Amino acid sequence: MKKKVTVKTVLIMAVTLILLAISLFPFYYMVVQSLQPWDMVDKTLVPTDLTLRSYEYLIGKGGATNSMMWIRALLNSLLVSLPTAVISVAIGLAMGYTLSKLGFRGEKFIMDSLLFQMFFPTIILLVPRYMIAKSLANTYAGMIIPMCISIWAIFMYINYFKTVPGAVFEAARIDGAGDLRILWSIALPVTKSVSTIVFLSIFMQRWSELMWDMLISPDIKMQTLNVLISTQFKPMGAFPGPMYAASVILTLPIIILFLCFSKYFKEGISFMLK
Amino acid sequence: MKKNNATNRRRELVGWALNAPYLLYSLVFFLLPLIWAFWLSMMDWNLMSKDKTFVGAKNFLDLFSDPKVQAAFINSYRYLLPVVLLCFFFGLVIALLVSKLPDKIKGIVAVLFFIPYLTSGVATSVVVKYFFNYNSIFNEFLRNNFDLTINWLTDERYAFGVMVGIVVWKMSGYYALFILSGIESIGTDVNEAAALDGSTGLHKLIHVTLPMIMPTLTTVLVLATGLAFGIYTEPFLLTGGGPNLSTTTWQLEIYNTSFTRFQSGYGAAMAIASAVQIFVTLRIVNFVSDKLNKRFGF
Repeated sequence: MKKKVTVKTVLIMAVTLILLAISLFPFYYMVVQSLQPWDMVDKTLVPTDLTLRSYEYLIGKGGATNSMMWIRALLNSLLVSLPTAVISVAIGLAMGYTLSKLGFRGEKFIMDSLLFQMFFPTIILLVPRYMIAKSLANTYAGMIIPMCISIWAIFMYINYFKTVPGAVFEAARIDGAGDLRILWSIALPVTKSVSTIVFLSIFMQRWSELMWDMLISPDIKMQTLNVLISTQFKPMGAFPGPMYAASVILTLPIIILFLCFSKYFKEGISFMLK
Repeated sequence: MKKNNATNRRRELVGWALNAPYLLYSLVFFLLPLIWAFWLSMMDWNLMSKDKTFVGAKNFLDLFSDPKVQAAFINSYRYLLPVVLLCFFFGLVIALLVSKLPDKIKGIVAVLFFIPYLTSGVATSVVVKYFFNYNSIFNEFLRNNFDLTINWLTDERYAFGVMVGIVVWKMSGYYALFILSGIESIGTDVNEAAALDGSTGLHKLIHVTLPMIMPTLTTVLVLATGLAFGIYTEPFLLTGGGPNLSTTTWQLEIYNTSFTRFQSGYGAAMAIASAVQIFVTLRIVNFVSDKLNKRFGF
């Protein structure tokens, strides 16, 4: 009996490993090709010698026409994604708290409005939104403001606050704490797992946004890394080596961020199912 | 009594103040664009010029005879079916495998399967573009060993499959997390009862596990349906919607019509048509989900 279990476990592990290898192969391929000499890119799966030439090209060594554009793009991505994620968390937290714990007259109206937007395909709004935000073209504000409110995030907070006993907040109020103080020193710590998941998810979505950023920020100086790489798909775009290197730089920060906070995930996912 | 009044007033004030950013946002970036979109959909307009010509329902009528619109409409379902089925299959397989792993490595393996979901479609497209390039090691291998020369992204027979493959690769691990979480919430009493009845393997999967996680499965169904309608980045970068519109999507056609061909009024009409299709399809999927949940007692 014992032996049978072991064989089964080994089999499960083997199949898992094969599936995992398939699922992670593109990352292996991306990293390996980014480190190949340029005449060997896409020619081998196991490199014989490795070089940083593709990465050096991106920081301006070795004849890049616009030496700072890749670094600038990375910085732009950060300067757009970070504020967007922070604002989404702040607004989600404030609204989740007021809509489920405060009890005020506008509650029902705002909930109805949220529900309506939740199930509304935003593609309809694309052209008019562009017309409204056009005066903010090529600015960080133009990339941040129209995308800084996430209905999904607000609902995550509303549902989470519903599971927190109201007494926690009442006690603080009796002690004389103001609402902003309650938000900062009670609501935020209590919702730590939801806040982490919302922050990471919004950061990741913003980091990978393509359509809006292409529209609102056509100037190369203001492009995010995601958009800059996508513009190089044209026939006269960058060489494959640097494209792989740029893709690694685009992918790595997100993976590292998520791995660092992976312990919050399962809690969050099981919560999202409720 | 007076204190109560003051407290109530303060509550109203705090409530409205903390929701004010959302309300302002909704006014400027939701309500106003919504009305504007319907108005634009009745105009002949090129995005830049000040002149708009009122054309009434003409844009909507033109949709019916537009091959791009027809392709987008049909492709939505062509994507939907394999994407939902394959994501479901792989998500379930991954979740079942991970749930049987030793507890020590369970968490990390689940997270590793989740990594493709985190990857920007642009980075994925870079890898896919070069990996399927004529001179890539992969195509050299096929040519030298099997005498096969396949134009993966320009041949209608393969380009669509590549797009579906990318989406399934990206999403399966994500949906697996949901399904895994469902499987793990099944009580030990249920598992013990199944063991007592001698239900194992496939029999247990079909008669115990799947019915027990029905609400999770229907959640995944709804999520995957929404996903299939949002496909954009990969066809935009890799095929441009071609060859012969075989990989195009609503998002791609709406973007190109409005911002590349500058038929912005027509693009707005197209967007409304796509929203109607999404709405009706989600309604049907929700209906089926509710029926399934009820049937299994949820």
